[in-house]
Amino acid sequence: MNWILQALNGFSMGALLFLLSSGFTLTFGLARVVSMAHGMYYLLGGYVGLSVIRATGNFWLALLAGGLSITILNYFVDRYLLRRTGENHLAQVLLTVGIVLILSDIALSIWGGDALSLRPPEFFRGPIELPGGIFYPKYRFLLIVFGVLVAVVLLVLYRKTQIGAIVRAGVEDREMVNAMGINVNRLLMLVFALAAFLAGMSGVAGGAFLSLYPGAEWEILVLALVVVIVGGLGSLEGAMVGSVIVGLTDAYARWLLPEFSHFAVFGPMAVLLLFRPQGLLGKEA
Amino acid sequence: MDIRRLALYLGVLALILFAPAFLSAYWLSMLIQVLIFGLLALSVELLLGNLGMFSLCQAAFFAVSAYTVAILQVKYGQPTIVAVPAALGAAVLLSLIFGIAVRTSGVYFILVTIALGHVFWGISWTWVSFTNGEGGIPNVPALAVGPLVFNSHSSYFYVVLAVIALCSLAYRIFIRSPFGLSLWGIRESESRMSGLAYNVVIYKYITFVLAGTLSGIAGILYIYFNMFVSPASAELFLSIEAALMVLVGGTGTIIGPFIGAALMIVIRNWMSAYVKHWMIVMGVVFIATMLWTPKGILGMIRQISLGKRKSPAS
Repeated sequence: MNWILQALNGFSMGALLFLLSSGFTLTFGLARVVSMAHGMYYLLGGYVGLSVIRATGNFWLALLAGGLSITILNYFVDRYLLRRTGENHLAQVLLTVGIVLILSDIALSIWGGDALSLRPPEFFRGPIELPGGIFYPKYRFLLIVFGVLVAVVLLVLYRKTQIGAIVRAGVEDREMVNAMGINVNRLLMLVFALAAFLAGMSGVAGGAFLSLYPGAEWEILVLALVVVIVGGLGSLEGAMVGSVIVGLTDAYARWLLPEFSHFAVFGPMAVLLLFRPQGLLGKEA
Repeated sequence: MDIRRLALYLGVLALILFAPAFLSAYWLSMLIQVLIFGLLALSVELLLGNLGMFSLCQAAFFAVSAYTVAILQVKYGQPTIVAVPAALGAAVLLSLIFGIAVRTSGVYFILVTIALGHVFWGISWTWVSFTNGEGGIPNVPALAVGPLVFNSHSSYFYVVLAVIALCSLAYRIFIRSPFGLSLWGIRESESRMSGLAYNVVIYKYITFVLAGTLSGIAGILYIYFNMFVSPASAELFLSIEAALMVLVGGTGTIIGPFIGAALMIVIRNWMSAYVKHWMIVMGVVFIATMLWTPKGILGMIRQISLGKRKSPAS
């Protein structure tokens, strides 16, 4: 029984991580940009959502506002700062760290240093009875459903539509796609916007069961990094597999080895580094 | 080397040697910090400048040796003579473990080292019975070897200076050795070097462990200066700062990381004292460095002093 409950915990954490890491992995795959700001986008999106809920009480509006505000922010960050680093990953990392420092200081002075949490709407609260007589928090269950839904939509977009085919081609060879007369810049902007929207939204979704506090940006970022390292950088399917593995490891470790729960998620990463450094679904570098 | 340059070097050397005589306590402690964090930055430079590998877990090695000294001295009452070798051993051991990271390259290496560094930070934070968690370990006694006790900044300064000089010398010898030169080959073309039957991974692994050891030495110097260690010393932010010091100073030299450390530490201390939102200023420094001075201060000076002559390749 407990095993199933913990599995559900793992899947809901995995769903959250997928929302965050899918954008990270796609922006890297297509634009060759590594952004350390993704964790901050999560936290900031959550904070914006929190303020919207306090003002209007509408959770859906909060999700939308969290996502949109980050999309707009990311547009400027990308356009005026990140673009200028070219493909220098080192510069991207330090530049985005600088952005995180600035944003976290601003966030601290607006939302303060206490751990805050979002209140999901009445409908989402309380337990849900699953087949087999298992009671599970409704919100976390719906998060799993939502995560799976987003995953399916993204996968269909990526694998079955023309725009997905262009994105996949761009991941393989950006110059070639450009030479075929496709505006890669516009494509990049689209993928960036999608990634930022998902990151901001994941903050609102996550803020309802993990709390939001200064420093959370790094913790969630590291988890997302482990997801992409395990799954393989640049691969959407890799992000899915990685999220589930990291989510489940985290949940079972919290239950079985509470003292080591902080590092248990790094176990799969270490094993992978030894045997398959490019990640489960990553390509040979 | 021409006379003017020699005179400049000798002048700087004399200034540093007699620094405790004329610097105020505040500036002397700043100078010690610059030297210690400069050494940490030098460990970043060892990997970045020679192999092009950008490690973001150097703070873990820095912190593991600081924690080892603190725990052995404070909790178990061991003397310096036991604590220091143990701390060095801990840094080497941790870098041997984290060395698995060298199996990756490029962005992967950056991401993996971030994650590994986070593991150590997590340990220092959650293993409360051993590390005191968030509170850290205060009241570490001064460095004492036999009858010698270095309990003032002006005497400890010379210990730091001597260690830094030895490390820099060792670094220089290492880089000019056949081993060090092979690293440049690996940086320029990994596939060619492995084609020439060099075991590239072993070279990277050994260099990674040496860099970890260097960070560990910096950590030992730090704990006897600061007398206190907390998870803040293991934070990703410290690793990032060390990397920025290298970039601000300019890669490819030994002095560069120290110049970068001087600038960063002066800015940080000054800002945190006078400006409320100094983190924003630090963020701007990060962004500005990346956008406008990609070759660092040394690169800029070289560019200016060379005038119209072509700038040398890094």
